[in-house]
Amino acid sequence: MPANNRKVAIVGMGGAFPDCADINVFRDKLFSGKSLIREWPQAVAYNKQIRSTVSGFIEEEEMGLEPIYASPVNGFPETYVDKLDRIPAINLATSDLGCIWAMLGAQESIKQAGWTKAETESEQTGVVVGSGGGGNVIARNAWHAFFELGKKSRIAGSHTVDRAMAYREAANISCLIKNKGVCESIISACATGLGNIGYAYRLIRFGLQDRAIAGGVEGTSIETFIGFDAMQVLSKGFAPAESSRPFDIRRNGFVSSFGAGIVALEEYEMAKARGAKIYAVIDEYFNNSDGDGNMFYPSYDGQLRLWKGLSANARIKPDVVKVHGTATPVGDILELISVVDTLGENGYHVSAPKSQFGHMLGGAGSVELITAIMMLENQQVLPCLNSDTLNPELENFQKAEGWKGSTKPAEAYRHLIPQQTLSKEINQIVCLNYGFGGTNSAMAISRDI
Amino acid sequence: MERQEIIDGLIDVLRTVRTIDPEKLNNVTEETDFLTDMNTPSTELINIAAKVEQKFDVEFEDDDIDNLGSKVKDIVDLIIRAKEREA
Repeated sequence: MPANNRKVAIVGMGGAFPDCADINVFRDKLFSGKSLIREWPQAVAYNKQIRSTVSGFIEEEEMGLEPIYASPVNGFPETYVDKLDRIPAINLATSDLGCIWAMLGAQESIKQAGWTKAETESEQTGVVVGSGGGGNVIARNAWHAFFELGKKSRIAGSHTVDRAMAYREAANISCLIKNKGVCESIISACATGLGNIGYAYRLIRFGLQDRAIAGGVEGTSIETFIGFDAMQVLSKGFAPAESSRPFDIRRNGFVSSFGAGIVALEEYEMAKARGAKIYAVIDEYFNNSDGDGNMFYPSYDGQLRLWKGLSANARIKPDVVKVHGTATPVGDILELISVVDTLGENGYHVSAPKSQFGHMLGGAGSVELITAIMMLENQQVLPCLNSDTLNPELENFQKAEGWKGSTKPAEAYRHLIPQQTLSKEINQIVCLNYGFGGTNSAMAISRDI
Repeated sequence: MERQEIIDGLIDVLRTVRTIDPEKLNNVTEETDFLTDMNTPSTELINIAAKVEQKFDVEFEDDDIDNLGSKVKDIVDLIIRAKEREA
C-alpha cells in the first residue's frame, strides 16, 4: 500500500529511437508528422525467405557504435566500440546492442535528473529495465558455432551469458551507474516497457526506493523480426512511411521496430525540494490479465477492468489516451471501443504513436510513455498517420453474439483521432499497452502544476 | 617456434581485446601477469585462450585451460605443449 501518500515524479528521459540522432531529433520528427519507418536492407537481403521488409530499425553507426567482428565465429559481434566515448569498454564487453542503448538512455536520464554521484549510487536507487525478447543476436551466433560448426563452447567467448540473459539491460545499467538498490527486470511481452516503469513507480510509491532508472528495450535483431514475420502479423504491401496504419480500414498488421525508452523516477517531494525539473507526475499504474485463456486475442472485458482498476484510487480524466494501437485488424477497434465505452464519445483525443515508428515490442511501452511526456510538455497531440479511412461498417466482433460494447462503427469516432499534430490544453494522459498472454497495463501521468 | 615469436603473436591477440589498455602492451615480458599487471578482467582470460587457439592453429585441452596460470609464460608454455602434442 502507498506509504505516506508518496507521489512519483518523472525527472529525466532518454533512449534510442529509429532514424533519430538523439531524443531532440525524435521529438522534432514526431511533432512535425514524420514517419521513422524505413525499408530495412537486412530484411530485404533475405529475399523470399521473409514476408515483411519495413521496420523502425536502428543501425549501430546511427548510435555512434561500431561492432567488432574479431571473434573466430563469422558474423558474431564480439563487442562494440563507442566512438563517442560514453560507455567504458568493460561495460561494452558485457552488452548486446540493446544493453548499450539502455545504458545511454540511463546516462541521459540521470544527467537530466541532475542526481549527484551519491544519489545515483545510493541504496535508495533502483534499476528496473527489461526487454521483450532474449539476447537473440548473441545466442544465435554462439549456438551456431557450437551446434552447426562443432566448435568448442569457448569459441563464442565467455560473455554469451551476460550478453544474452533475460535481465541483461538492468544488469548492465546497474554495473555502469553503480546503484546499490534493487536491480530487476519485469518481462511481459509488448507490455514490458510500461510494466518496468509501473513496477519502479510502485517501488517508490510504496516507500521501498526513492529513485529508479526504469524502462524497456528491444535491440535491433533480424532474429526477433522473423518470429513475427512467420506469424504473418506484420504489415505488408505499403510504402515504408504508410505501412503502420492504426485504425485505418486497410491496416493489415504491425511494423516490427526496435528502440529503447528509459526514464528517471524520483519521489516527488525529494525532487521538488532539490528544484529538479519535473517532466510529469505519475498519477497511477494498474495492470491485469484477460483471464480468458487466449494467448493473442485482445479482451474487451480485460480492458474495461483495466480502466476500472486504474480509476479505483486516482482521478482519471485524460485529455489524451495514448493507445497501444498496433494496426492489427482486430486490436485497434476493440481498444478504441473499450476507451469510448469508458470515457464517452467526447472530451479527449486518441493518439497512436506506433503510426510513426512502428511497434518497438519490449521498448514500446516506455518509448510511447516518453512520447506522452512530450505531448504534455508541448501541449500537442501527436498525429495518427495513415488513419485515412475508418470503417463505416461494424467489425465482425461487434456482430458476434454476446457483444456488450458499442455498436457504432469505427467511423463514428473519427473526431477522436487527429491526423495532424493538434494543439490543445493537456493536463493528463493515460498510456495503454498490452502483451501476448493477455497482459494489460495502464499508466496515467499529469503535468506538474 | 621461438618463444619471442609466440609472445609477439600473443600481443597481436591482446590488442584485439578491448578491455585491455593498449598502453599496457608496450613492455610485456614472460613474467607479466594478466590479472595484476594488465588489469585484465578474469572473464577475459577464456576469450584470450580461444583467440590464441585460432591465431596459432592449436586446440588446448580443457584440463590445461582449467589449470592455466595468469602469466604470459603460462600461455606460451601452453601453446608450445599443444604444438608438440599435435606434431
